[in-house]
Amino acid sequence: MKTTPEKNFSTTGKIGKSLLLLLPMTLLIFILSTGGKPNFTSQVSLIAFLITFFFFNILFFMILYKGKVDKFRAAGFITLALFFALTFIVDLINARGTMTFNNETMLSCEIPFCHIVSTMIILPLIFSGGIIFPGSIIGGFASITSMLVIVLGVMIALGRGFCSWGCFYGGWDDGTSRILRKPVIKKVNPAFRWAAFAVLIIVAIVSLIMVNPFYCDWLCPFKTVTEFEKVTSFTVLLKTITFVSLFAALVIILPLLTKKRIQCTTLCPMGALCSLSNKINVFDVRIDKEKCNDCMLCTKACPTMSLEKTDVANGKPSITCMKCGKCIDACNRSAINYHIKGTPVGKRVTLARMLFLYPAFTLLVLFTSGTMQQGIVLLVKLFTTGSLL
Amino acid sequence: MKKLLAFLGYTWAIACLIVLLAAFVKNDSFAGKMAKLPFIKLHPVYSGGDEAKVINEPGMDITIYKPVFDRVIGESKTGFVQIKFTSPTDTLPSLINKEIDYNFDNAVDFSVEINTVTGETKLKPVNTLVKDLNVSSRVKKSWVIRVNVTNPAKSK
Repeated sequence: MKTTPEKNFSTTGKIGKSLLLLLPMTLLIFILSTGGKPNFTSQVSLIAFLITFFFFNILFFMILYKGKVDKFRAAGFITLALFFALTFIVDLINARGTMTFNNETMLSCEIPFCHIVSTMIILPLIFSGGIIFPGSIIGGFASITSMLVIVLGVMIALGRGFCSWGCFYGGWDDGTSRILRKPVIKKVNPAFRWAAFAVLIIVAIVSLIMVNPFYCDWLCPFKTVTEFEKVTSFTVLLKTITFVSLFAALVIILPLLTKKRIQCTTLCPMGALCSLSNKINVFDVRIDKEKCNDCMLCTKACPTMSLEKTDVANGKPSITCMKCGKCIDACNRSAINYHIKGTPVGKRVTLARMLFLYPAFTLLVLFTSGTMQQGIVLLVKLFTTGSLL
Repeated sequence: MKKLLAFLGYTWAIACLIVLLAAFVKNDSFAGKMAKLPFIKLHPVYSGGDEAKVINEPGMDITIYKPVFDRVIGESKTGFVQIKFTSPTDTLPSLINKEIDYNFDNAVDFSVEINTVTGETKLKPVNTLVKDLNVSSRVKKSWVIRVNVTNPAKSK
């Protein structure tokens, strides 16, 4: 039996209501895509803005109209990952002439600070009185304090929702996990969902002892698509082989075979830290036990193995939930919904859904709009001049 | 009580959008305030340590940093000392050849010869505490070297 929650308030299938609820987001998309001051220096930048503007408006409208979240979120999220890699690499090559960093970049403390480093600086900051990263404290591209403010703000606002709506790396394994229609490896041990916590503890302690952001230095698979140390020694070669192998295995091959976000679930220490922030975050996903018929479609759909039989019985996913909306879309009884802590489960689900979707989609727009516009300009340049640089 | 909890929940949910927007829109302001916090500073292993002395020589400023022996708790047996060579005219000479007294005991600790064109750097330790060259690189308009040294407090 297919049921629709709160038939009177739902936007599903209702063009007028969907357009009405799209309006505030349209305004936000316009402001965030233009910085509030539209200033298009060329025809190409105007076209890039228009494509970005309509892209996000269509995505949000479809989320409202179709009543499905995940596939439209993923379209924006994967776009973010691809355009981020493209623009970051081109910017690096323009600035340094290469994707690699060297002694000069390290000594001048100009390495862009990525959110994942946050997990490694906390203990050293407490025990050895300094940030163990060769980045700029303030000013310049991706300074330490600037990224820390964003990380704190996002964790307060969305908890681990960051990993599905804002992380500029997550779209890689989200994308590869969608390529095949059915998983080749059908069952992944759900215990792996706790692996990232072990990684978090290990990298935090090792970073403290070695006075070195260990995960960035040795493990981070996403160095493959951003920047990495110039190979000048056997140790650096070993590091390079390690992170490229991890990229191939955890970001490409295993997500492809399992249809799960293996890198985000098992290796990312930031994912574990964000999971902890789920505890203080007001949004969660809850299962209305009165509607649930224990079909377990949601457990199969969950890309992070956050929903197992025991979690369904408990009426909520585990702390590792990324709030991607896949389980909500998979449930054909509308038993699973976004929920606001402190409110009754299964009541005012459209309100809870909208209150979550506005900040979550805003985060996606905040991270993607600038990058996407820059990326489109670069692609136009590639097609017209044959060069990205 | 249930109504109060629900009211707080909805209020907090609405506040989340404001928190999120503030983190981005007012990022410069918040980041500036965070940067002023006394514990927000780079670890000496990355910053090179605190400046100990600047020696102004004709055509060259030499900045000697305090040796860095920091580890999790206490000090390590070995660390490094950073030296920065800067030309007031922003043009480094093609060859830098200097004798450095990094611990200010009026005795040369090591001499260094840097070819700023090729990057070739030769270090001659004089003090037994000086071990070898850690790194030598151009940094913008300066040249920076880090020399591995033994911690005198731990070598006894």
